[in-house]
Amino acid sequence: MTGFEVAALLAWGTVVGLDLVSVPQAMISRPLVAATVAGLLLGDPVSGVTVGMMLELFALEVLPVGAARYPDYGPASVASAVVAAGGDPLRAIGLAAAIGLVVAYVGEFTILEVRRRNSRAVARYREGLASGDPVTIRAFHRAGLMRDAARALLLTAAGLALAALPRAWPPLTPRIATLLDAVVIGAGLSAAISGTLRGTGTMVGLRWFAIGLAAGIAVVVLR
Amino acid sequence: MTLDLVRLDDRLVHGQVVVGWGQALAASLVIVMDDRVRQSEWEQELYRMGMPPHMSLEFASVEEAVAAVPRWLCSSQKTLLLTGDVDSLVRLVEGAPAIRRVNVGGLHQQPDRRQRLRYLYLSETEAEQLRRLAERGVEVSVQDVPTARPIPFREIP
Amino acid sequence: MKKGMMLSWLRLFAVQSSWNYERMAAIGTARALEPMLRDLPGGRDGARYHEALGRSVGFFNSHPYLIGVAVGAIAKAEHEGVPAAQIERLKAALTSSLGSMGDRLIWAGTLPFASGIGLALAATTPWYVGPAVFLLFYNLVHLALRTWGLQAGWRDGARVARALGAPLLRVGLSLAGPMAALAVGLAIPLVATWLGTGVSPLLHTAIFGVAAVGLTLALWLAPALGGLRFGLVMAAVALGLGTLWP
Repeated sequence: MTGFEVAALLAWGTVVGLDLVSVPQAMISRPLVAATVAGLLLGDPVSGVTVGMMLELFALEVLPVGAARYPDYGPASVASAVVAAGGDPLRAIGLAAAIGLVVAYVGEFTILEVRRRNSRAVARYREGLASGDPVTIRAFHRAGLMRDAARALLLTAAGLALAALPRAWPPLTPRIATLLDAVVIGAGLSAAISGTLRGTGTMVGLRWFAIGLAAGIAVVVLR
Repeated sequence: MTLDLVRLDDRLVHGQVVVGWGQALAASLVIVMDDRVRQSEWEQELYRMGMPPHMSLEFASVEEAVAAVPRWLCSSQKTLLLTGDVDSLVRLVEGAPAIRRVNVGGLHQQPDRRQRLRYLYLSETEAEQLRRLAERGVEVSVQDVPTARPIPFREIP
Repeated sequence: MKKGMMLSWLRLFAVQSSWNYERMAAIGTARALEPMLRDLPGGRDGARYHEALGRSVGFFNSHPYLIGVAVGAIAKAEHEGVPAAQIERLKAALTSSLGSMGDRLIWAGTLPFASGIGLALAATTPWYVGPAVFLLFYNLVHLALRTWGLQAGWRDGARVARALGAPLLRVGLSLAGPMAALAVGLAIPLVATWLGTGVSPLLHTAIFGVAAVGLTLALWLAPALGGLRFGLVMAAVALGLGTLWP
């Protein structure tokens, strides 16, 4: 990777890291988008979208309801796209996605840490907030935004470092690589299905899911 | 029994409850037990807006809830009861000893409350009330969403 | 349009930036509300403005795309001089209903629906179609909701339940979940086929086996494990197996 590419990926990772919770929540942080754009930055959007699809399956499990905790798939998608880019998009997608999963998992804890820091900051601003001082409100809010931006940048940087590891290590044998592909695809499918059924209400959801599934299988068979 | 969840949560009907618990338990009836909301038409209307079509919502004062517990227990409808404050919960369980299990979902910050878990703030009085409930043999467990691990109340700092 | 509304609308996009466990989204909400309070009697130096802001920083949460409804309704209530205690009750009821509506309409509806369609297209069309359709459709709903919400809240104030009962919204709420299940169901075979073409035919059974185990765990045996952690464990097992028997 060139210096320019690293800088562009860091910037993109920060943007999508911010998108998840802070701003603008347009879901450019979804793997389907985040990984495709990261792939595009590296000149290989097809590998990007492929690994993005893989991670998107996992992201379908997440129900970011209220105060619940959730992984951060945006910076994770950037790391995965880096691993996948330049190769055959359908080879060793398991390894690329697995690295993304690690980053997403770490990301979950970084979000919790930012929220804890925001909570502690409330004490420092308590009086200004209670008196309805707009300057205090702005300062508190901006500090939160800055914490999340720093978090997203650091997580992306850590992800890029992790993504460099497979290049340093001896390459996986084809058998390990394809086994890894198989288990990660299987796990992703189960995550997407269970997440959707849990989110849409088991019985009603199941019926519509079955109709969709039948249609999808029909498309696969007829194509 | 079909009073499947008695939950302390000051946000009452919200996403974790409707999407999380409601679907995990396949509940079809939600009771909001709150003396003040019971009296207020416009608040009830707002709470109703949050309900999915396959769940019905009823409002009860604590007194009405105590009287209705036997009926809920033997009805075939899966029922979820929500209340927003510790006092109401304690009054309910004292009045209806058939309730053997309560779920502590979330109480938010107030000036006299201390943070116990990331979603749980309790004053000393409230913690004491819940502790006494647990000592009397009621299973008090703390759990925000169905996929989280339930924590017995005695393990709460 | 109400004075300050445009700025409020823009600030709504960052409403969760200072999300914390103590106040949740309250302070971001106060920040978005602030421009619409500037023309309270007494202006920005007046007591009404500061009291209203001081009230608004206490606990509040909702779905981010629907917080505009609350911002509009609270601004209206403040302008109408509704008593403080009643504004607190309004906030509590809005936290509840807006949160629940948004979770069903967006997180469990529009988002997985758009994602399912995006995935199905990504598996069957050129690389840019899936992500582009996903983004366009999702943000159409997203932007419409944010814009409508702020206006409806301001129009109806404390009687905002009326706006939330709008037929279009109710239809959306009842369709969102089933459509999401349909779209993801459609996407699953297409994505599995596309991703599985890189895997040797011998290992196609491994895909189904792992998926079946994962589903059993997620739906019945260990719902708390989560698909992400399951995926990590399975990847580690595959690497371990591959290293032991290369």
